[in-house]
Amino acid sequence: MTIHTPTRRSVTAGLATAIGALAAPRIGRAQAKSVKIAMIAPMSGPWARQGQLLKMGSDLAMEDINAAGGIKSLGGAKMEIIFADDSATTEKAKNAAQRLVSDHPDLVGGFGCWLSSFTLAVTEVTERASVPWLTLSYSDAITDRGFKFIFQTSPTAANQAAETLPTALKLAESTTGKKPKTIGIIMDNTAAPIAFVKPLKAGGLDKLGLKLTVDQIFTPPLSDATPLVEKVRSAKPDFLLLLTSAMPDCKLVLEKLDEFKLAHGKIPLVSNGAPFGSPELLKTVGADLLDGLLFSVADWPMKGQEAFIERFKKKTGEAFLTQDALCGYGHPEILAAALETAGAADKLKVADAIRKMNLTTGPAAQCFPGPIKFDEKGRRVDVPIIFAQWQKGVPVTVFPADRALAKPMWPTA
Amino acid sequence: MRSPAETRRQRWAIAAVAAAVLVLSFVLKSAYYELILTQVLLWAVLSLGWNVLCGYGGYSSFGHAVFWGLGAYTVALAMIDLDLTPWVSIPCCAIVGAAAGALIGFPTFRLRGHYFGLAMLAYPLAFLYVFQWLGYQELALPMRRDAPVLYMQFEDPRVYVVLALGLMVVALAISLWVENSRFGMALTAIKQNEPAAEAAGINTWKWKMLALMLSGAMSAVAGGLYVVVLLVLTPDTVFGILASAQALILALFGGVGSLWGPVIGAMVLVPLAEGLNAELGNVLPGIQGVVYGVAIIVIILAAPEGVYWRVLDRLGRNKRPASPAAAPRAPVVPLPHPRAAAHGDLLVLKNIGISFGGLRALDEVELAVPEGGLYGIIGPNGAGKTTLFNVVNGFLAPGSGTIEFAGASIAGLRPSLVCRRGIGRTFQVVRAFARMTVLENVIVGAYVGARDDPAARNMALAALDRVGLSDRADAIAGGLTTRELRLMELARALAPQPRLMLLDETLAGLSHDDLDGILGVIRQIRADGTTVLIIEHTMQAMVNLVDHFTVLDHGRLIAEGNPNDVVRDPRVIEAYLGKKWVERVAATAN
Repeated sequence: MTIHTPTRRSVTAGLATAIGALAAPRIGRAQAKSVKIAMIAPMSGPWARQGQLLKMGSDLAMEDINAAGGIKSLGGAKMEIIFADDSATTEKAKNAAQRLVSDHPDLVGGFGCWLSSFTLAVTEVTERASVPWLTLSYSDAITDRGFKFIFQTSPTAANQAAETLPTALKLAESTTGKKPKTIGIIMDNTAAPIAFVKPLKAGGLDKLGLKLTVDQIFTPPLSDATPLVEKVRSAKPDFLLLLTSAMPDCKLVLEKLDEFKLAHGKIPLVSNGAPFGSPELLKTVGADLLDGLLFSVADWPMKGQEAFIERFKKKTGEAFLTQDALCGYGHPEILAAALETAGAADKLKVADAIRKMNLTTGPAAQCFPGPIKFDEKGRRVDVPIIFAQWQKGVPVTVFPADRALAKPMWPTA
Repeated sequence: MRSPAETRRQRWAIAAVAAAVLVLSFVLKSAYYELILTQVLLWAVLSLGWNVLCGYGGYSSFGHAVFWGLGAYTVALAMIDLDLTPWVSIPCCAIVGAAAGALIGFPTFRLRGHYFGLAMLAYPLAFLYVFQWLGYQELALPMRRDAPVLYMQFEDPRVYVVLALGLMVVALAISLWVENSRFGMALTAIKQNEPAAEAAGINTWKWKMLALMLSGAMSAVAGGLYVVVLLVLTPDTVFGILASAQALILALFGGVGSLWGPVIGAMVLVPLAEGLNAELGNVLPGIQGVVYGVAIIVIILAAPEGVYWRVLDRLGRNKRPASPAAAPRAPVVPLPHPRAAAHGDLLVLKNIGISFGGLRALDEVELAVPEGGLYGIIGPNGAGKTTLFNVVNGFLAPGSGTIEFAGASIAGLRPSLVCRRGIGRTFQVVRAFARMTVLENVIVGAYVGARDDPAARNMALAALDRVGLSDRADAIAGGLTTRELRLMELARALAPQPRLMLLDETLAGLSHDDLDGILGVIRQIRADGTTVLIIEHTMQAMVNLVDHFTVLDHGRLIAEGNPNDVVRDPRVIEAYLGKKWVERVAATAN
C-alpha cells in the first residue's frame, strides 16, 4: 500500500493554476468594466404589454451596442441594463427607482416608465440622485417641474394637441388640393382627450378656419354609438376627430360609422396617440374598418429603419414595430451616445453630454424624428409631429415626407 | 376591557416597538430600505384607522381609501395651490378625515353588515372620478430646494421614518385608549349584537359615528404623510381599490380587532410584496402577485383570525385569568327607592297599531301596567307579542297610538333612550355579546345607569349577584348554558336598575328544574320593587307567576284579567286550540 504524497512540482503547478484562475477574471473585468443603465417599466399589470414592448426594443439595442464593441471611449466597456417592474402603482414605481439608485450607485442613466404618472414618481427619485432619465411619456408635467436630469423624447401632450390639426389640414390640402372647412369631434371625457380638445375649443379651431359641426362627448364605456354617429350623418363634417381611450368604444364608433355608410373614407378619421396604431386595435377592429385612419404620434417607424423593422418583426414575432419598442431601442442608444462623448461612466458627465447633445445621425437619431437635442427643460427641440395611417392592415408613417414610408391618402368621397 | 397591569404592559410594548424601529432606521444604510420602512409604518396607520371602526365595531369597510385619498389630496393641493407646508396641512387632514367620516356615516350607517361594506366601496371610486374630472390626474409636489425642512423635503430618509413612526405611535395610543374605555366597550357590544347593545342603553348611532370619524381622521393623516413621501399623486394610487384592500388585508392578516394586528400585517406583508416585486418582478413579471396571493391564502388558512390571535392562542395567553374569587365583589346595593306595589300605572299603551305592508301586526292594543305589578302577555305564535315589546322599547315606532311611561310619552324614542328612561328588556333568542365575559356583558348594560366605569362594574356585580350568577362572572358568554344565558341577560337588563323590565319569553326552552330557578329570580326582582312585564306563549308557568294576563291574537287584544279567569275564556281557548276545543271545553264544563 502506497500513500500518495504530493510532489513539490505538482503543488507548484496547482498553485499556478489557482492563481491563474483567480487572476484571469479580474483582468477580464478590468478590461471591460460594464456600465449600468436601468429600465423601469410596467412588466406586470394592466400596462404589462407596453413594458414588454419597451423591453423588446431595449434587448435589441443592447445586442447592437455590445456587438459593435460596447462604449469605445470607455475601452469597449459593455453596456449592462437592469430591469425593474413598477408593477402598476406609483408607489411600486417609486420603490423600484429608489431600489435601483440605492443598490446601484454606479448607475449612469435610465429610461421608462411608459405611464406618465409612474415616470413622475420615478423621476422624483432619479432627480435627487442625479441620474439622467429618458422618457417617452407625453405629460407636460414631467418637464414642468424644473428638474435637471429628465429628458423627454416625445413632444409633450400640449405640443401634440397644438400640432395635430394644422398638420392634418396640411396633409388634406396637399393630397386633395382642398382645405377642409368643417370638423366633427367624437370623444370621451377622460383626461387626455379633454386636455387635447380644450385649446381647440378656446379659439384654436377658429384660427384654423374650421367650423365645429359635430361635438359629441361621452362617458366611457359607450353602450351605443348610434346617437353620436346619427349627428355625424346629418352634419357631414369634412373630417372627424376621434378621441377615445378604450378600444371597445373605438370599435363601437367605427362599426356604427360603417353601418351608416360613413366608413371607408366617406368621412376621413383623424386621431392622436400610439394606441391607435397598436396590433391590439387591429385585432379588435379589423383592417377593413381601420383603413385610412390617420393618427398623430410621438414616434413611429420611419424611413431609414427598414432593416431594423424587419429584424424586429422576425425576432419578436410582432406584426409591426410601434412607438414603444422603437423608444425602447432608441433610449439606450441615446445613453450610449452620451457615454461615448462623456468618456466616463459618470452620471453627471452623462447628463451633461445629453444636455449638449445634437445628434442627427447614428442609431439614436435614426429612432426619432428630428435631431436629438434638448432645451433647458429637457424637452426636444425642432421635433416634427409624426402622422401614421392605416394602410392595408399596417399603420405606416406618412408624415413628415422625408421620413415617411408611404404616401398619405386623404380619402375623398 | 383590559386590567391596568395589562394596559401598562401594552404601553411598554408600544415603546419597545418604537425603539426597535428607531434602531432599525439607523442600522439600515440604504435609502431604499428606509423608504420601505416608512411605507410599512404608514400603511400600518391606515390599517389601525380601519381597525377602529371595523375591528372593534365590526362594521367592515371596503372603502377606507376615501380617507387616505382625501388626506393625500389635502396635503398636495394645499402645497401646490396655497403654498401651505405639510407641517400644517397634515394635522388638518385629521379634520378633513373626521368631517368626511361624519358625512359618509350619516347616510351609510342606515345599512348593516355586508351592505355597509359594499356601500363604503362606492365612496373612493366616486372620489376617484371626481378628482379626475377636476383635472387632478397627476399631481407632483413642487420641489422646494429653497426651504426643504419647512416643506418636509428631507435629504435624509430617516426623518420620514421618524415622522411615520410618530404617527404610528399616536395611532397605537389612540387604539389602546379606545380599547380601554367605554368607547371600546360600546363598539365591542355593537360588533357582537347591535340590537342588544341599543336595548342595553348604548347609543349605537353615536358610537358608530364617532368610530368612523376617528377612523377617518387616522387614515387621512396617514394619507397626508404618504403623499409627502411619494411626492406624486394620482387618483388611482390613493382612491384605487388597492389602497382600500390594503387597509383590510393588513388587518385581516395580522388580526382584526387587536391592537397589534394591523402593525403585524404591515410589517410582514408590505416588505413581502416589495421584496417579491424586487426579486421576481424582473425575472418573471407578474409572478410576485401570484406568490403574494398564495402566501396570504396559506397564512389565512393556518390562522383564520389573523396571526396575532393565532400566536396568542399558541402561547396560551388568550385564556382569561381564571381567578373569579380575586375580583372584588361589590356588596349588593339595595335599590335606591324600593317601590311599593300599585302606585298607579307605570306604563300605559293606548290604541297602539302598527302594520307591515298589508299585515296588521298590532291593532288598537291597550295596556296599563301598574307600578310594582308583574303582568303577563300571552298569545299564540304570531300574535304580535314581541312586536309589542319592540314598539315599547323603541325598535319599532308605532303607526298609531300613544305610549306613556311614568307619565311621559316615549313613543318613537331610540331604544337606548328608552333604556335610559328606565326600561330594560331581554330577548326571545338571547342576544349575548358572545366573546365578552359574563361580567362584561352586564357592564355594558350597567353603563346607562352608572356615573363612571367603576360604578358600572359595581352595578354589574350587584346585578349578577341578584340573579345568582356571580360565580360565572369571568366565563366567556359564548360557553354558557341556556339557563345561564337567560340569567345573564336578566342581569344585563337589571344592572342599570330599571323601573320596568320587559322579559321576552325568558322561560322558553328551559327544563323544569331550570324553570323554577328563573321563576324565583323573576319573583325576587318584582319583590325588590321592579315592575315586570313578561311575554310567554306557554301558559302553565305563567298562571302561577303573574298578577294579570293580557291575551293577544292576530295583533288584537282579545282578553285580559285575572290569569285563572283568562285561561277559561272561550276566546282564548279558541285562539290557542281552535273552535273544536271551545266546544269540548264547554261540554265538559256542563
